Amino acid sequence: MAVSLTVNGVERKLDVEGDTPLLWVVRDELGLKGTKFGCGAGLCGACTVHLNGQPVRSCSTPVELAAGAQVTTIEGLGDQDRLHALQAAWIEQGVPQCGYCQSGQIMSAAHLLASNPSPSRDDIVTAMTGNICRCGTYSRIIAAVESVAAGSRPDQQEGA
Amino acid sequence: MTMNRRTFLKTGAGASGGLMLSLSLPGCAGVQTGYEPETGEWKPDAWLELTRDDEIYFTLARVEMGQGTYTGLTTLIAEELEVAPAAITPRFAPAAPEYRNPLYKLQLTGGSTSIATSWEPLRTAGASAREMLKMAAARIWKVEADACTVRDGHVVHPNGIDSLRYGQLVELASKEVIRGDVALKPRSEWKLIGKQGNRLDARAKSTGTAEYGIDVELPGQVYAVVTRSPRYGGRVGSFNGDEVRAMPGVVDVVEIERGIAVVADKYWRARKAQAALSVNWDFSDALSLSTSDVFEGYRKAADEDPGESERSEGDFDDVAEAASTVLSAEYAQPYLAHATLEPMNATAWYQGDRAEVWAPTQAPDLGQIAVARVTDLSPGDVTIHTTFLGGGFGRRLTQDFIEEAAAVSFKIGKPVKVIWSREEDTRHDLFRPAMLHRMKASLADGELTGWHHQIVGPQILDWYVRNAAPAQYPWAPKFLYNSLGSAGLMFEGIATPKDMSAIEGAIEYPYGVGSIDIRHTHTDPGVPVTWWRSVGFSHNGFAVETFMDELAHEAGEDPYQFRRKLLANEPRHQEVLNRAAKMAGWGEPLAEGRARGIALFQSFGTYVAQVVEAGIEHGEIRVYRVSCAVDCGQVVNPRIVEDQIEGGILFGLTAALYGEITLEQGEVQQSNFHDYRLIRQYERPEVTVDIVDSEAAPTGVGEPGVPPVIPALGNALFALTGQRQRSLPLTADA
Repeated sequence: MAVSLTVNGVERKLDVEGDTPLLWVVRDELGLKGTKFGCGAGLCGACTVHLNGQPVRSCSTPVELAAGAQVTTIEGLGDQDRLHALQAAWIEQGVPQCGYCQSGQIMSAAHLLASNPSPSRDDIVTAMTGNICRCGTYSRIIAAVESVAAGSRPDQQEGA
Repeated sequence: MTMNRRTFLKTGAGASGGLMLSLSLPGCAGVQTGYEPETGEWKPDAWLELTRDDEIYFTLARVEMGQGTYTGLTTLIAEELEVAPAAITPRFAPAAPEYRNPLYKLQLTGGSTSIATSWEPLRTAGASAREMLKMAAARIWKVEADACTVRDGHVVHPNGIDSLRYGQLVELASKEVIRGDVALKPRSEWKLIGKQGNRLDARAKSTGTAEYGIDVELPGQVYAVVTRSPRYGGRVGSFNGDEVRAMPGVVDVVEIERGIAVVADKYWRARKAQAALSVNWDFSDALSLSTSDVFEGYRKAADEDPGESERSEGDFDDVAEAASTVLSAEYAQPYLAHATLEPMNATAWYQGDRAEVWAPTQAPDLGQIAVARVTDLSPGDVTIHTTFLGGGFGRRLTQDFIEEAAAVSFKIGKPVKVIWSREEDTRHDLFRPAMLHRMKASLADGELTGWHHQIVGPQILDWYVRNAAPAQYPWAPKFLYNSLGSAGLMFEGIATPKDMSAIEGAIEYPYGVGSIDIRHTHTDPGVPVTWWRSVGFSHNGFAVETFMDELAHEAGEDPYQFRRKLLANEPRHQEVLNRAAKMAGWGEPLAEGRARGIALFQSFGTYVAQVVEAGIEHGEIRVYRVSCAVDCGQVVNPRIVEDQIEGGILFGLTAALYGEITLEQGEVQQSNFHDYRLIRQYERPEVTVDIVDSEAAPTGVGEPGVPPVIPALGNALFALTGQRQRSLPLTADA
């Protein structure tokens, strides 16, 4: 079927089967490989993207449900010259180990801060609990989110 | 060439349960080094490349799977070369003899060996290049090389004013010859080693630009998914290939050794078509047992065979007879999956006379073997491009995912990416072996006088040698691969190297006890197994340190003091134990409903003690705090050491709380993260890591955080409930 959606601000028209998960459309049709496949069942959060500003598990979201919607992926959060404040914090705090889950982690954190700029520790833990990190970077994730949430940084930061 | 069985696999004991094969390889092609005038590139050795444009490339021979080689090994080069680590661009090494792990004689990343084995060679490589650059500059300036200095990518004239960039010197430097040994920088002059440093891969991994195996795309590439036998060892009988071939987007349906591959133009179409695939399996040689049969078999084997003696001091029966108490206990641990967050995948392109593979692998040279096995190529015809790894934990030492992609590409002649689903990744893993431990100990007037440990279970090398043996013996014709591969099972005790995987951590029992008897009853139920983060230490740690806790309570002693007194001759053990106890406030009162447990375990040369503070809330075990002291010798990057130890702790807690793969009549029962749970953010304890300042040779940190946390948690739960749990995973209602 013909599907039209706006990904990272660019309108894309695609001819794909409507039940194709948004994940594989983003990765294989649009070549945006930053969004990862982890479980295919919405259990790990590695595939998290924003659909009309809400975090969704793209592995379990048929593309037909995203028709006409605004999709933001890790590639659209910042860019190489102007990173999102969370990305800068992730680098500064040295969060990633294997790194595979981190796009999803950052997308979840970005939604949290967009909806709640001064989250408590409990708010952060709750918002981030849907994202599994097998390497165990959880404490650095908390530190990175808190460093941004504390308001010590501008919204946008020059690339680190 | 004649071969006899003894030289087939002539091996010695490797560090940390790995294999160490003693044959050197005849006639291996080396990496081209020297100066290339057309491109202005100078390769002083297999690791470094400097260009006249001041680019510095470093070939990273130990893969990056989260453990930090990309940063840590680059730091060693940067320190000696006097440049910022960020000025160096690491490149993942192809398969080549120069890049083999010296401990294993294979190009493996595992065994927490990367820093330890690179410590001297990489600093020497950096220092050699630096000295050659100085010599070249000195020749231009007509001064003594020793009078020149280096700073931030420049050689500086003795006058302190003039300088030349490295790029200006590469051609001349390539002609210099170093005679004798190169002096490494003294510790007092280190600017990078031991200091905090950002991860060099953090940016790529925070912007979605780091390329993992699953991200590789080739022109004309198709996608394949493989339906494998639900029971290990099952073979394809028949399947409805024509029906599936007619599905939208399907390119082909092909039978390969490991199952049926559905190939399509898109991944999702391959998955949908796979759902329509129906395979009749021939289970005549397939696994048919259940987990209960495994443990029944272990108990029977333990009864019948006391096992091979692996360490024997004093006579246990004598001390037991003289003892006031003899305590015995049996511990059991389940099979465990690796659950790397990036599922198994590989992209292979068979091109007639050669093949290329892009894959997240921990062993590129074994990837070459895997391709050769299923195509008409030789290992030397295969190029392996290693990517970032979305987790490894030992899983990617086995090359089954590469083998599948190569087999499909060989059949259809196109570049193929095979992606495993999470369910496939869980069910078709090679597991941390289920193990049984029988412990006995004697106490005489509260003093521990005898220790008897019988370990029951398989050895990993029996399974691994299938892949590894042909890589060791490139002269072996391919028709011998399978017999090379089964050599471990066929010639047990004759051909296999000493496999430490079942006994490591048990035989290094550190406590000062008069009689120590460690035995291994070797029994293999036929369930595929492999290395899993911390390997044998993962199960021996639980058995040894839980039983030590039982003995302390039996003796009426504090578990910390009981251990400490028995470590009089082990200062490094004592130090970490004391530090962990102090950090945790051992002995101080705790909030109602909480208790502490302590454990100490050395693995991979690194000493780790941990105190866990835990409780039970709403019927679930909660871990509040983990206080950890670690002695890993000289630290290269303290932040990465902390991260690896904390990551190991969470990995161990996942196993302790949830980890269990079960079999029902040969079929794995778990499939995804709902029934193979991994620890989540809300369960994260506060972890504090205290690193001992040390000038001893560096040892590994990727794995040693795992073993002690499992018994430490179990010991805390005993302190809380008075109920001793001797099998894993731990439960709240024991």
